[in-house]
Amino acid sequence: MRTRSAKKSISLALSVVAASNLFVACSKDGFSESPSQTGAAKATAAPSAAAVQYPISTQETLTSWEQIDTNLASFVPNLAESPFGKQLERETGVKVKYTHPADGQSKDQFNLLIASNNLPDVIEYNWGGGGSAAYPGGPEKAISDKVILPLNDLIDKSAPNLKKLLQQDKELDKMIKTDNGTYYAFPMIRPENGLVFRGPMIRKDWLDELNLQVPVTIDEWYTVLKAFKEKKGASAPFTAQYSNELNIQDAFIGAFKTANRFYIDDQGKVKYGPTDPQFKDALSLLHKWYAEGLLDKDFALNTDSKSLDTKLMSDASGATVGLLSGGMGRWMDTGKKKNPKFQLVAAPYPTLNKGERAFIGQRDFKYNPVASKAVSGDSKHAELAVKWMDYAYGEKGSMLFNFGIEGQSYNLVDGVPKFSDTITKDPKYNLQQMVSQYTKPNGPFLGDSRKSFNTFKEQDEAIKIWEQTDAVKHVMPLFLTPTAEESKELAKMNTAISSYKEEMFVKFVMGKEPIDKFDEYVKRIKDMGIDRVTEIYQGALDRYNKR
Amino acid sequence: MRFRMGLLLDIRKNKLLYVMLLPVLLYYVVFHYVPMYGAVIAFKDFTPRLGIWGSDWVGFEHFREFFTGPYFWRTIKNTVLISFYQLLFGFPAPIILALLLNELKHAVFKRTMQTVTYMPHFISLIVICGILKDFTSSEGVINDVIAFFGGERLTFLLEPSLFRTVYVSSGIWQNIGWGTIIFLAALTGIDQEQYEAATIDGAGRWKQMMHVTLPGLMPTIIILLILEIGRMMNVGFEKIILLYNPGTYETADVISSYVYRVGLQDFNYSFSSAVGLFNSVINFALLISSNWLSRKFNDTSLW
Repeated sequence: MRTRSAKKSISLALSVVAASNLFVACSKDGFSESPSQTGAAKATAAPSAAAVQYPISTQETLTSWEQIDTNLASFVPNLAESPFGKQLERETGVKVKYTHPADGQSKDQFNLLIASNNLPDVIEYNWGGGGSAAYPGGPEKAISDKVILPLNDLIDKSAPNLKKLLQQDKELDKMIKTDNGTYYAFPMIRPENGLVFRGPMIRKDWLDELNLQVPVTIDEWYTVLKAFKEKKGASAPFTAQYSNELNIQDAFIGAFKTANRFYIDDQGKVKYGPTDPQFKDALSLLHKWYAEGLLDKDFALNTDSKSLDTKLMSDASGATVGLLSGGMGRWMDTGKKKNPKFQLVAAPYPTLNKGERAFIGQRDFKYNPVASKAVSGDSKHAELAVKWMDYAYGEKGSMLFNFGIEGQSYNLVDGVPKFSDTITKDPKYNLQQMVSQYTKPNGPFLGDSRKSFNTFKEQDEAIKIWEQTDAVKHVMPLFLTPTAEESKELAKMNTAISSYKEEMFVKFVMGKEPIDKFDEYVKRIKDMGIDRVTEIYQGALDRYNKR
Repeated sequence: MRFRMGLLLDIRKNKLLYVMLLPVLLYYVVFHYVPMYGAVIAFKDFTPRLGIWGSDWVGFEHFREFFTGPYFWRTIKNTVLISFYQLLFGFPAPIILALLLNELKHAVFKRTMQTVTYMPHFISLIVICGILKDFTSSEGVINDVIAFFGGERLTFLLEPSLFRTVYVSSGIWQNIGWGTIIFLAALTGIDQEQYEAATIDGAGRWKQMMHVTLPGLMPTIIILLILEIGRMMNVGFEKIILLYNPGTYETADVISSYVYRVGLQDFNYSFSSAVGLFNSVINFALLISSNWLSRKFNDTSLW
């Protein structure tokens, strides 16, 4: 029984997104009514703290759990070793020991961290609710479970920069606290021009070749995609990434004045799009495109960005919905190397009739809960941690977080920061890779509207085109805070509903279920309790509006 | 009393053997029995911060939720069916291959065959699933072949009706070689004289296989079959979650993948423990009953 084992072990690096977030569970925040937690909330009007002197002289070392930027991870294993990390330590005077979850496993590792009962001083994660990643029960629950601290007093005392911002911007203030007025995290704040960064895009060089205009209406899209298929031989004319759902940011679906999720209608009422009667029309359209081979036949398998890259770079696809820099910029970069004519331009979110304004599209809020830092309940250095975090909202700190180190990663040209040639013209690495070493791409700081990663003029145009939607009226905020009890109810119903909805969505589009079954499907979702879910969100929205 | 005396005597007599047994026992106690206390969270409303003992008791709440939930019958059905097909097609496959290899007389060819069939076993599951996805996509190799012969291209992994076929057949491909090892070992244990006797009685190779080789393998086959049945409800979630998508949940979503989704992704540890515990109880029952059956109708059994 001798076997000759393989002489070489071949290590294949295959990036399969290991289903770390199969579900965009909409478990929203809850809040507990324990008075001990809410007492702090009344202190908002307390006198401002004196400015903190940086660098702070301290012997203490903070510990922080946060994700490392994937680009940065290819240069150094730990944030502390990056030029940014070193500079931050120099400027704030605070030594920080970082722990990073493995790429794509942050959720699992966050759970383990919480279960371990050995929390670092600060944790950067989605504390705000919404999304797939929040602490179950939301920020109020996290506070009452003693996982994180309420920050009202600490902000009053030791975070003058953030405090000033919140006093100036009431809208932001409303977003980052809970219904009873508790602050729970240091927020990532997007600049006004950084809210829209995803939308439909299409191969302009193909359009020119075929003598076609950038499509605006659904019918025009049909003509264009058909031409891509027949004349350009594209096997999947329109493709998109699939992570928990077809990631098209409600393009096409929005043309029917609905959305593939909860949204707010013109009367300010919360609605669940997938049970709208007009959602049936959206499904019929997608099915038609699927059946005619205009929509990628393998759409539900595009779970990683690689499959999308391959399709766009191999001319199998000519249109998609993607990100501004991570998509358009990157594809233009690579595409042009192979084919100098390669050009992607933004297309407006499609509508049914010409001249209409799109009902919905991608639009984020100023407050991005995904990368916000909270202070853990165990922390013995809460005050120091707050001072350290507050640095990012000050003038100097904000420059470091956005642009990096003056003279190295950026220079001031007529008072305006510009990324230096060292990082824009590196022969080996692209702008985003270089920038990741000197700045913090995502995290709790004040985003600067002068920061731009755009390398192509098409990208500047794209923002203007994608902005032309009514998303601001219709997108439901991620940071609503249902009560802890409501959160529990939501978690149960939402998992079942979203799972069933998505299964049926794929089947309707693929024609595995005839569209006549739509009413039956709506009834089933009603039986699963969608009315109750909508009611809970409506309540939370009303409370949010009253904050 | 007599038992205890006997044991003490035995320990004194075979000291070294017992010392050698110790690490194995410790391993099971530390890594398999001690963690079992964690199963109590199935009856609690577990909150990580409060810990296992600090969380509130809720009794059978989570079990009730699973049994009355919308996916109870579907996950059970899928688990049973996938296991059943795996058993039906996957279990005999290595036996047949072992028998075939046994008939090979050319030593170099035989060893090459063995090595080639072992190989896939050592490839990481993630890579295997990546390959599968690629080969079965609408523009993949398999579809190229189908299209070449005039067939219709279809995305295998988006067809609920094909999921089990892809799952089971790729499983056979990956593990068939590895599975033959134990049978080939058992084959060497068959008395050569029986073959000589059979030859003298005029048995050809087929008859020899049917009447000498197979009966010789039977005890091994039965033991493995019992173990396999005991594992029946344990369809691993890794391969499922790497291959399934909402389009194929209908046939692909098994108990363990459901537990993974609800437990790890939605933080509902208690619920998933309840489902996991339920699963273990079924496995335990299956193991006991298959052993009992085997003892009744056959002389071979685990205990």
